[in-house]
Amino acid sequence: MIMQAFTAIFTPVCLGLIIFGTILGIVFGSIPGLSATMAVVLFLPITFGMEPTNGISLLVGLYMGGISGGLISAILLKIPGTPSSISTVFDGAPMAERGEAGRALGVGILFSFIGSIFGILALWFISPLLAKVTLLFSAADYFSVAVFALTIIASLSGKDMLSGLLSGLLGIALAMVGMAPIDAATRFNFGNYQLLSGFDITVLLIGVFAVTDIIMVGFGRRNLSKKAEKKPYQLKGYGLSMKEFIQQIPNVIRSSVIGVGIGILPGIGGSTAGLLSYTAAKNSSKYPEKFGTGIIDGIIASESSNNAVIGGSLVPLLCMGIPGNTVTAVFLGGLTIHGISPGPLIFTKSGNIVYGIYLALIVSSVVMLVFERLGLPLFVKLLDIPKHILLPIIMVLCCVGAYSSNNRAFDVYCVLGFGILGLVLKKLKIPSTPLIIGFILGSMFEENLRQALQASHGSWSIFVTRPISLCFLLVAVISCALTVRKNLKDKKTAALAGASFHTEEEEG
Amino acid sequence: MTIKTRNTIASVIFLLFGGFMFYASLGVKTVMSNDVGSGYVPRFIAVLIILTAAGKLALTLLDKNPNSRKKETSKSDSLGGFGTIGLMLLYMLAFNSVGFILSTVCYLFAQMMLLSDNTNRRPILFAILSIVVPVAVYALFVYGISMPLPVGIFGF
Repeated sequence: MIMQAFTAIFTPVCLGLIIFGTILGIVFGSIPGLSATMAVVLFLPITFGMEPTNGISLLVGLYMGGISGGLISAILLKIPGTPSSISTVFDGAPMAERGEAGRALGVGILFSFIGSIFGILALWFISPLLAKVTLLFSAADYFSVAVFALTIIASLSGKDMLSGLLSGLLGIALAMVGMAPIDAATRFNFGNYQLLSGFDITVLLIGVFAVTDIIMVGFGRRNLSKKAEKKPYQLKGYGLSMKEFIQQIPNVIRSSVIGVGIGILPGIGGSTAGLLSYTAAKNSSKYPEKFGTGIIDGIIASESSNNAVIGGSLVPLLCMGIPGNTVTAVFLGGLTIHGISPGPLIFTKSGNIVYGIYLALIVSSVVMLVFERLGLPLFVKLLDIPKHILLPIIMVLCCVGAYSSNNRAFDVYCVLGFGILGLVLKKLKIPSTPLIIGFILGSMFEENLRQALQASHGSWSIFVTRPISLCFLLVAVISCALTVRKNLKDKKTAALAGASFHTEEEEG
Repeated sequence: MTIKTRNTIASVIFLLFGGFMFYASLGVKTVMSNDVGSGYVPRFIAVLIILTAAGKLALTLLDKNPNSRKKETSKSDSLGGFGTIGLMLLYMLAFNSVGFILSTVCYLFAQMMLLSDNTNRRPILFAILSIVVPVAVYALFVYGISMPLPVGIFGF
């Protein structure tokens, strides 16, 4: 299977798509306001007509490039291109102020690559083991996994757990439009035949992320003409000596392990991984007072960690079909469209595709290392593209993407509907990531609940008598309890400090 | 809008949505005898939405924190935001009937004009881009990857 994957990936077309995807991903990642999620969402419909390996490889390139591209604007503009690069700003910006922007960029690119490779190796070795464990899962266990994933995502995607839960439940509700699983009964289509097949995940993603962002820019159009000051840079090689590289090995291993761990847990995301690794690097450093003043340790911790998240986040996706973040949610859509069902049997049924994903990730990492470094002058120039020109063009691509997903204008109307829904959620400070995860897990939730209840003749005790199911439900309850406790504590602190308490979330 | 008002509005919207979902799910028929039926999970989710929204509403109403009554300041540009929504709406309505190229040319030009200000408004550049981009996208999709786009009443 590895050889099959090797021959599928190392073809001129597939390699070309990986290179194209990675470069374009870097462009999307580097421009603040665009994101890895947006890149993957926009190109998902284009992959429909491709061979599965080619299509998935393009998406892999976009994901990899999208995450690593964020460091360019984080260092040169002090604005993280993606949320994953937030902690890169802490030391990248002071280095740029001191005239060391080139060194910061070089180090960031090199350790993004190392973090990515670490994450891919973790994915390669952990996934088959996890897949073997998930073979023991029954319908009741899968239902509890879905509940666990939803509560974790709801708890961690924003500070207000109830808002996160409402968003996740709304996502499940949207997934129930159209024909039901098991008996194909029609629901909530209100006489509209277009709704019989339900809403398309691509359409929902384009609407809630891309279109909402463009509308939000419309509301803040006065800020569009304000340009952030761009720092000049000079760079030779990757900006660090072999001695410095060796000194940073413990930092990169620790940060990559944190990145992989955070990636495996659903809903936490790259920015938390970066922040946690940054804090861990600072706490274990011999010179913690230098963090934040412009040292490479901070950049290395942030970038190796947020790139290691990529491999980690694919572990639950491939083994259980549970997307950990919005980009992997789109990935799940891509896999499903190409007839690949993530789950414990993916290694036996579609092993060549899985190994193809691993190889595509490795190739994409190498492409990122080489092309992000070589193309730095071009990517820096792209930061100058005016948003008032770029965003309308992206809107057009959104509509084309939505139309192409099913060749019907109805999906284009839905895109605007979901864009407005995303806007309402943003205005009400309700995170939209749980909505997407809820939408994806909705059918898994329902199908397994009904199957489990059929098996137990309607008794709910099946969910607490099976050990695996009970474990997941207990973890879900504990996570909820801890989040409620933390929320109450934060509210008290905010009240004492005279500040307001509101929700925040991370998207791709 | 204060945080309290915002949270109250959010809770009420979800309460109404949950109620509507519960009502609509009552009409879903059970097809198989040994199954809970296709209306069961929607009703279950609707009840969860109602309970969560009611919990959020109760917490909001009981919140004694004076900061939650402070007005949040936001400098949003209503003309820019609602204008963008309006242009998107017109574009999507015209997308199928007028055709991809023509509707996109009009949308791109109007949207670029709306988002730009006196310092960066360049109508000639916008007009050129508004024509070049849709033609290029059309060529890529229709001829490049054989994915049809709406031709509309003018045949292109």
